[in-house]
Amino acid sequence: MGNLLEFSHVGHEGSGDRAGTEKPTREVTDIALGTLVRRSEEVLDSWDRQKIVDALVRETFVDQDTAEAISLEVEEMILVSRISMVTAPLIRELVDAKLIERGLEQARRMHTRLGVPLYDVEQMIVQPNKENANVPHGPEATNLTLAESIKKEYGLLNVFSPEVGDAHMRGDIHLHDLGFIDRPYCSGQSLEYLKKFGLNLPNSLAMAKPAKHAEVLLAHMVKFAAALQGNFAGAIGWDAVNLFFAPYLEGLDDRAVEQLAQMMIFEFSQQAVARGGQAIFTDVNLYWEVPKHFEDVPAIGPGGSYTGKTYAEYEKEAQRFVWKLFEVYKKGDGAGRPFFFPKPLVHITEKFFKTPGHQAFLNHICDVASDKGNTYFVFDRGETAKISECCRLSFKLERSDLEDAKQPWKMRYCALQNVTLNLPRLAYRAKGDDTQLFAKIGELIEITIKAHRQKREFITRLVSHKSSGPLSLLNMNLDGSPYLRMHRCTYLIGMVGMNELIQYHTGEEMHGSAEAMKFGLKVIAYMKLLADQCSRKYNMRFVLEQTPAESTAYRFAKLDLKYFPKESSSVVKGDQSAGEIYYTNSTLFNVGASMNPVERVKLEGRFHPLIEAGALTHVWLGESKPPAESLANFVVKTFQRTKNDQIAFSPEFTTCKGCGKISRGLREACPWCGSEDVDGITRITGYFTRVSSWNRGKLGELKDRYRNQGHFTRPLTPERSDGGRVGR
Amino acid sequence: MANDQPPPIKGFIENSLLDWPGQICAVLFLPYCNLRCPYCHNHQLVLRPDTLETLSLEAILDRLHGFKEWVDGICITGGEPTIHRGLPAMLRRVHEAGFKTKLDTNGTQPETLHYLITENLVDCVAMDVKAPLDDSVYARCAGVYVPVSIIKKSIDVLMAGTVPYVLRCTVTPSMLAESDIYCLAEQLRGLSTETPSSLTAAPLLSLQNFNPADPLDPELKNVQPHTDQALARMQEEVNRILS
Amino acid sequence: MTLFTKSLCSACQEIQKDFDLKTLGVEVEELGPDNPDALAHLAWHELVEIAEKSLPILVLNDLSAIADTDAIKNYLAERITRH
Repeated sequence: MGNLLEFSHVGHEGSGDRAGTEKPTREVTDIALGTLVRRSEEVLDSWDRQKIVDALVRETFVDQDTAEAISLEVEEMILVSRISMVTAPLIRELVDAKLIERGLEQARRMHTRLGVPLYDVEQMIVQPNKENANVPHGPEATNLTLAESIKKEYGLLNVFSPEVGDAHMRGDIHLHDLGFIDRPYCSGQSLEYLKKFGLNLPNSLAMAKPAKHAEVLLAHMVKFAAALQGNFAGAIGWDAVNLFFAPYLEGLDDRAVEQLAQMMIFEFSQQAVARGGQAIFTDVNLYWEVPKHFEDVPAIGPGGSYTGKTYAEYEKEAQRFVWKLFEVYKKGDGAGRPFFFPKPLVHITEKFFKTPGHQAFLNHICDVASDKGNTYFVFDRGETAKISECCRLSFKLERSDLEDAKQPWKMRYCALQNVTLNLPRLAYRAKGDDTQLFAKIGELIEITIKAHRQKREFITRLVSHKSSGPLSLLNMNLDGSPYLRMHRCTYLIGMVGMNELIQYHTGEEMHGSAEAMKFGLKVIAYMKLLADQCSRKYNMRFVLEQTPAESTAYRFAKLDLKYFPKESSSVVKGDQSAGEIYYTNSTLFNVGASMNPVERVKLEGRFHPLIEAGALTHVWLGESKPPAESLANFVVKTFQRTKNDQIAFSPEFTTCKGCGKISRGLREACPWCGSEDVDGITRITGYFTRVSSWNRGKLGELKDRYRNQGHFTRPLTPERSDGGRVGR
Repeated sequence: MANDQPPPIKGFIENSLLDWPGQICAVLFLPYCNLRCPYCHNHQLVLRPDTLETLSLEAILDRLHGFKEWVDGICITGGEPTIHRGLPAMLRRVHEAGFKTKLDTNGTQPETLHYLITENLVDCVAMDVKAPLDDSVYARCAGVYVPVSIIKKSIDVLMAGTVPYVLRCTVTPSMLAESDIYCLAEQLRGLSTETPSSLTAAPLLSLQNFNPADPLDPELKNVQPHTDQALARMQEEVNRILS
Repeated sequence: MTLFTKSLCSACQEIQKDFDLKTLGVEVEELGPDNPDALAHLAWHELVEIAEKSLPILVLNDLSAIADTDAIKNYLAERITRH
């Protein structure tokens, strides 16, 4: 071997492919230049300086002469170093160093190699992923993490401007699901699409005509959900599921309906074979009443044809199904554990209270809420109708949507992206000055809007390739418009740490005084007005949302302790010495404040009408199991006497890996067999999951959660009294 | 028997979803008790109430005024409320303030109970029955001698009255055998008239689990409570006996 | 008392013209894109949804609210005669 320089390449993929041939990709370059993976059976390639030149000319704007000069310098370096084996990434970094020397920063960015250090890959393959508790560990999960890490870098470098990318990296904002940069955020849809058009996916090997039987409709639903999960970063929500199934249930006996309910819940809860080994993040929206906007809509039944009836006439069937669904939730899985997915969101409209049997149904779903925790209570007061999805994202059905409701298959909604603001940091920067604070909020919203516009531009590019592009599924056009209706998308502006912003800025936490809370409302009002203004200006729908912030609340707290140690250490929540730190989610009150649950739903609820894309109050139950009738009483009063958008009750469980049994409360050991090999189960943000998979921030929060002792459990000593402080 | 001075209040919960099924209620804790149940978890209230701050009824009613649309009623518990001569005055005041009343009692003061019911001062009663109606077993579970004839009299008062009620029994494994529970249920069936408990969804005899966190008798700390499932099974059997 | 209004709302202007609100002890808060304070107060009083449909709204000192224009006028007129 002449000069002792050896280069290998991954034979079949790169061989012969000179850089610059018809479909140049990054990997071709890498492969042509050197070793990616040393594999014994593969041929070693010899050094070819020209490949550096070609790559530079193809990928950047540098001229031929500069490229030649750089390639010569790099060749010289390699010769001098006397190394016997170099890899493509190494050569690329050497080239990048030369670009920097020449001040060619733009070219260096364009020439960047995206990849993952060996150590990190080792960590990923061996350690579990704690960013999202919904991802188990396994080869599929590792694939997801690896792909995400590269797409994340790609997004930061190539989709967003440096200003936006830097704001994310610093932790001023959080761009959610960067690893899914090439997908919209979340999707809500209607079964009517499947009922009318069957399962007819682009690039699919077979097309299925509209289902004739309930089980087949369910199969279509599950498969479509999986396909959608591959095209959206977040949740897949389904509207009025029990109602739209109803025409298929006529003539089925109760046992068959029960069977269907069981199948639906088990199918969605056991889809841990989907993307990255994750369950499909599924929400099913349910109603006891036939919601007003569907009353007169002609029902679609088996075979995709109209049944000749309206949905109002399917009330009984819809009720039979939803009742059975909750019987399944009540039983739990094979071991009696609560189901994690699909999440049941029960909408309560004014009509609910006029619908016969509502009290019994409410007791039924409250029994599930108390026992297993699954039920979400979504309050659609007045004339608003909503479809909820993701952790707490809900779309208000506006006039154009109500028009859609007449042809429900058109009802599909998408939030294109979610960007969350680090609120406490704004307070640190404002140093107690109101004017500064509001100015800084404005600046950050401006960056957020830029992020949204850049993402929109990127997705627009992807969908512009129509059916041959990467988002062909979202271009599927069966009803006169593509599945993803870009002009109808919403853009979410989330927030984390309102409580800590207020605490730093005013010296009091939000539950501390009426003044503190009023200031919080002013911040949110200001953000909402800015979002409204930008919506008009850019003709895009920007709406506030309570970010689930499963990992963001941890990430922001960590970054602030690093960059603003003096300011943040007094307000960051959790155990700082243990690193179990977090900011309080969105506009929630301190999770540990011993606030009476009535006050919590009432006062947190005052924020909700300003947070249009959805808000939620958690009532942590700990190990207690209040009577269903009392919870029902609480739910009705929350509807009637507050503006709260949505509530959920969260009990805690211990599951034993030894004997497989489940017990109530978070315990050190299994009360059945004494084994200490146990795991906790409770709600992390918007869904149930195992505590062992939680990130450290959420673990810190879990320890702090106020479990409404006394309100739901008998107090051990009577001395505790809340002495509520916030004004009424 | 009435006295104008309401008894001292030693504890207060604004909103409970547990103490009055189907209702959201506030809870007031009164001090002292004439029993010494070994499993009592409120013994500080019973033995050392002076260590607890006394709260003013008026201040509490004032505070609850802000929750008027949420709080359906006020549950008075203890300790044992019926040993306080000022209890009727307190209940009257609570009614005046616009709240319904629920009384938790151990049933050792049947005359008081009868008076409160006939005077319409209580809207709901929960009475503890500690053990099968047998003097020696009852004494063991109540920690002092209680003639069960008194307890029976209280049950009669509840059964004859017009107020919804529920009987409750705390099941402490080392003190009550499962068979004791069923024996009690059989005895209650013997006493029972046609009227079942009119409390929503509550059985005539409601079993409650023992809480080992801080019992009056420290030896009970080591006693494992029944599992939820076991208790639920016993409750089902009790319901079957009583139905 | 607080009267929530917005510009280009004829009923709001009418009430402001017909009554000497200042003497009656009524503060006026005009909702608009540049007034987060007014929106925050509206949210504090749990009136955001009502205000989307109907303005003006008068919030009384006992924190109850009147959202009907004629009812607001009657209430204010009555207060004048009582004084």
